[in-house]
Amino acid sequence: MDCCLTWASAHLAQIVAILLPITMPLIVFQLLPLVVVMERRGAAFIQDRIGPHRAGLHLQLSSVKGVFTGEAGGLRLRAFGLIYNLTDIVKGLFKEDFVPPFANKPWYLIAPIIPVVIGILATAVLPWFAPFTTAYGQTVSGQIFAPEVGLLLLFALSSLSVYGIVLGSWASNSKYSLLGGMRASAMLISYEVSMGLAILGMLLIVGSFSLTDVVEWQANHTWGIVVQPVGFLLFLVSMFAETCRTPFDVTEGDSEIVGGFHTEYAGIRFMLFMSGEYFHILVASTLIATLFLGGYQLLPVPGFGTAWLKANLPLVVCGFTTITAIGLFVAVKLILGRRAHWAKRNSTDTALRVREYSFYATVLSLAAVGALALGIAVAALWHPQPVSGTIAAGTAIWPNSVNIVTAILQIHILLGKALLLAGLFVWVRWTVPRFRYDQIMGLGWKVMLNVALVNLVLTAVIAKLVKGG
Amino acid sequence: MLHSLDQILTAIYFWGFASAAVLCAFGILFGRHPLNAAICLIGTMLSLAGIYALLASPFLAVLQVLVYAGAVMMLVLFVIMVLNQARDHVLPRFDKLSLIGAALPVLIGVLAVATVRHDHAALTSSATAVRAGVEPVATALFAPTKGYYLLFELVGVLLLVAVVGAVLLAKRRLDADPGTTDHPAGDAANGSVAQAGQNGKDAHHGH
Repeated sequence: MDCCLTWASAHLAQIVAILLPITMPLIVFQLLPLVVVMERRGAAFIQDRIGPHRAGLHLQLSSVKGVFTGEAGGLRLRAFGLIYNLTDIVKGLFKEDFVPPFANKPWYLIAPIIPVVIGILATAVLPWFAPFTTAYGQTVSGQIFAPEVGLLLLFALSSLSVYGIVLGSWASNSKYSLLGGMRASAMLISYEVSMGLAILGMLLIVGSFSLTDVVEWQANHTWGIVVQPVGFLLFLVSMFAETCRTPFDVTEGDSEIVGGFHTEYAGIRFMLFMSGEYFHILVASTLIATLFLGGYQLLPVPGFGTAWLKANLPLVVCGFTTITAIGLFVAVKLILGRRAHWAKRNSTDTALRVREYSFYATVLSLAAVGALALGIAVAALWHPQPVSGTIAAGTAIWPNSVNIVTAILQIHILLGKALLLAGLFVWVRWTVPRFRYDQIMGLGWKVMLNVALVNLVLTAVIAKLVKGG
Repeated sequence: MLHSLDQILTAIYFWGFASAAVLCAFGILFGRHPLNAAICLIGTMLSLAGIYALLASPFLAVLQVLVYAGAVMMLVLFVIMVLNQARDHVLPRFDKLSLIGAALPVLIGVLAVATVRHDHAALTSSATAVRAGVEPVATALFAPTKGYYLLFELVGVLLLVAVVGAVLLAKRRLDADPGTTDHPAGDAANGSVAQAGQNGKDAHHGH
């Protein structure tokens, strides 16, 4: 055990280099169902509906039959709409992989894969945690792939993602699909211009293309949204256009061109397009958080960067667990309220619902208690040692574990910001109506491009005056 | 010749990218469908970007993807909206012009081989030296002593003139057509898309 730890500690950079490319795309993929549920429940909330509430896992341990029929006495788990993702996947996988007649088969089959692949590749360039030096002197990067041209590489990837939509729409051999694809290509290419210009101001201030440098600059000064509010707004709007989300969803404008570029798609290939879209939203949210909202940094104040995090790790961990526990307890309270509400009503499945809500309350209470216990354990077992200590017999494990916990915390901070921004995407989708095609082009070329240019020039002048040189 | 893991990996990547580039180039030559040829062109561009990255020129590699991917996108749109697939199936793969096209790569190949044989040392790369990174390109372009920035700005003005000229030409045609003047430009674009034939169904449209 001891020698294993020492070995792992000495080869931390290699272990992270192998683990990170496997885990990060998977973690982002794991968040897709969450965003889908956020979308469905958010839509229901905004439109004053109940939302997804039917599909559930029926558990009845006493008889196998009950698992499928959900007879009274069993336990039905609907998991707040999460089960719908499961049923979606089953439906998508078992639907016929239909290719419309006269479609261009190879491109029709390949096109939906492109957006997903681009999304997975994009996770490689994003900085997930601050780079650190291990006790053995190895440098561990928070990016899977850390080129000096980081952001440009992301833009290059994003310019490739148009091909999935255009090829799919063309290969479907349908007028509606083709119209959607053409709209997508025109819109994405137009908004790439203002996207690039919106970001240039921030890059000018930071003085580097590297995303880690951008985040480190924000840690030392303040968040990008404070110094570049106009750039943030422009970039946010461009990102809505790049992900083809409302109000920029003319590509699939259902009231005009049926379903747009994916009209002819069904089953798993349609779901690939959909997961590509949600993947794109998550990557875009992470990118916005990285560039303008401090990335993996906790607070928008200088002096509270990674070094502060490492020095006050027990405090931060306790704070996180406490907040988690409070959130879980609030959730339990709400669920108990629902249980009381249903217990009063005399419907046929009252018993089923009460059991379900009791189950949720129990599980979440246990999780809350677990979070509290973790916080207390961290506070009790904390034994300060120098982070950058010399290597004596086995002590290198300590600074390394500080580094690892900090990295995990920072991944959580970044993903938390990204999920909040994904919530913004959902909010906007169900609030703002769809733009007309010419309105989109007018906004992109006549408004955003000019504002971005003025912003860039002003930023350049101010940066020159402030920085000198 | 291959001493370290780095060199072995570099060799593997190089031969992978190089063969992909050549295969895609042959795809452009022999593919009958213009869209397939366009996608093959992207394949070649991406493989070349990979080779640039291997040559320690990350900036060049990324620009290769950024610029050419966008440019080929335009080509794809032209193929979809303007070219007629049904007619292209009938066209022969090669004609007399192809002979000139065949002579050119042979000439370039001879020149390349001659260059490599003549000055071998200049082509050896070191793994640590970044050639076309952000910094070297920026210094080469914008160093005040060299004066390339003037040329850079002039090329920018030239491109602007080209854009203005294109808009002027297109606008004159729009004005001549009474049907499109009172519509926003976007609607006109939509209309032409709706008429763009594909898969030979609208072979009689004639563009």
